Amino acid sequence: MNDPSKTKLGPPIVGVSKNIERVRELIEHVAGTGLNTVVFGESGVGKEVVAQNLYQKSPRVGKPFIKINCAALPEGLLESELFGYERGAFTGAEQKKKGKFQLAHSGVLLLDEIGDMSLPLQAKLLHVLQSGGEFSPLGSEKEVKADTWVIAATNHDLKRDIEAGKFREDLYYRLNIIKIYLAPLRERPEDIPPLINFYVKEYSQMLNNRNLEKPSPNVIERMCKYSWPGNVRELQNVLKRMLVLGDCSQILDELFNSEKITATQDGAADSSMSQHASLTEIIDLEGANSPDSQSFSLKTAKKKAVEMVEREIISHVLEKTDWNRSKASKILKISYKTLLYKISDLNIVPPEK
Amino acid sequence: MKKPFKLLIIDDSEEILTALTNYFSQKKYEVASAANGLDGLKQIEAKDATFDLIITDLVLPNISGVAIISIVKKKFPETPVIAITGWGEHPESLAKEAHADFVLEKPFKLPELEQLVKKLLKQ
Repeated sequence: MNDPSKTKLGPPIVGVSKNIERVRELIEHVAGTGLNTVVFGESGVGKEVVAQNLYQKSPRVGKPFIKINCAALPEGLLESELFGYERGAFTGAEQKKKGKFQLAHSGVLLLDEIGDMSLPLQAKLLHVLQSGGEFSPLGSEKEVKADTWVIAATNHDLKRDIEAGKFREDLYYRLNIIKIYLAPLRERPEDIPPLINFYVKEYSQMLNNRNLEKPSPNVIERMCKYSWPGNVRELQNVLKRMLVLGDCSQILDELFNSEKITATQDGAADSSMSQHASLTEIIDLEGANSPDSQSFSLKTAKKKAVEMVEREIISHVLEKTDWNRSKASKILKISYKTLLYKISDLNIVPPEK
Repeated sequence: MKKPFKLLIIDDSEEILTALTNYFSQKKYEVASAANGLDGLKQIEAKDATFDLIITDLVLPNISGVAIISIVKKKFPETPVIAITGWGEHPESLAKEAHADFVLEKPFKLPELEQLVKKLLKQ
């Protein structure tokens, strides 16, 4: 057996729902095959955790596990990141650079957000997969061969992307030899208590074994009723806040109050469907922020709305830059320090690693 | 009496699965069936499994027919696999790459499939 201590172990797949049990069973059966795999699921459900588990249960454990986010980089850059380049391949290519495909040789390459890959690059990827891992780096005439297990992840409905002409059907079938679907948390509330247990233990360890108080049964029950639009990642963030601040009920109240807003925002981020939600809805003038409420004032309402917009924009840019804060601060045209302050003030949390 | 041949049929369409199962049962084959790739694979990998031939659809939930063919050909290279497909040429070429013994396009006639099975089992 491989020595697991050599590799940093990712978290296990926690849950008792039928979906999660099925996912675990699938991983057991396919981890050894090295067949192209696509992990489907909404943002924050833990697609990367599935990829890590596949890797850890495969004979490739201990070999490289390389991840690349296909949505974060412009096409040309993504291509050179994936396949590498020769010295002098283009202006500024002063050094030869190996691509991620080659770096992942004998290991795993996780293509995150594959649904956002451009069509020309999809064609190139298809060609590499068809040839069994052969490609030539930019500016090179020599073909390189890499034995790389490709695992892709996406929150897109790729079938719909194919119909819309945004995703190649042949690439879809070539990647989709194994398909693993992670259901959103709202469809498997029975997983919430075991997830809470798991993360409370984990965060206690992170905080130097400080004895953290686990949320009460009553709080857990309420947490099971929330819709978790941000899925496991949101659950992690809420738990962290509860463990640090202690005031579980108030955090939950805020959560349920914002549920409507979050749903609208999330829809707007995920599809064009609700991009035109009315401002009244977004600010929730009929609900939590109603002028009838005691705490209402133009100033507080305005502050809330601005925070909402800021959080949305900053999260979006951070996601696009793969949480490269200095890049993000340049795009946002604010100072690095301001960005860090805003991240902590608005409680924007990096995606699970 | 000769021992009957054991078939495994994997298809996510209930109609096709039932039709094939009934047909081959009548023809005195011992038939096992699965509606998705994982359940099929579990039967293939079961300790006492001894399938003489596997018939699989190509597009299946979770583990595709292409994966089934690759896995079977690696672990049990002697076991013939027939792929059935109705989905155009992409999965079909994948099935050939995975060394399916035959790729049969839908729609097909049941006796046609049986002839193929007989041929592959060298009856």
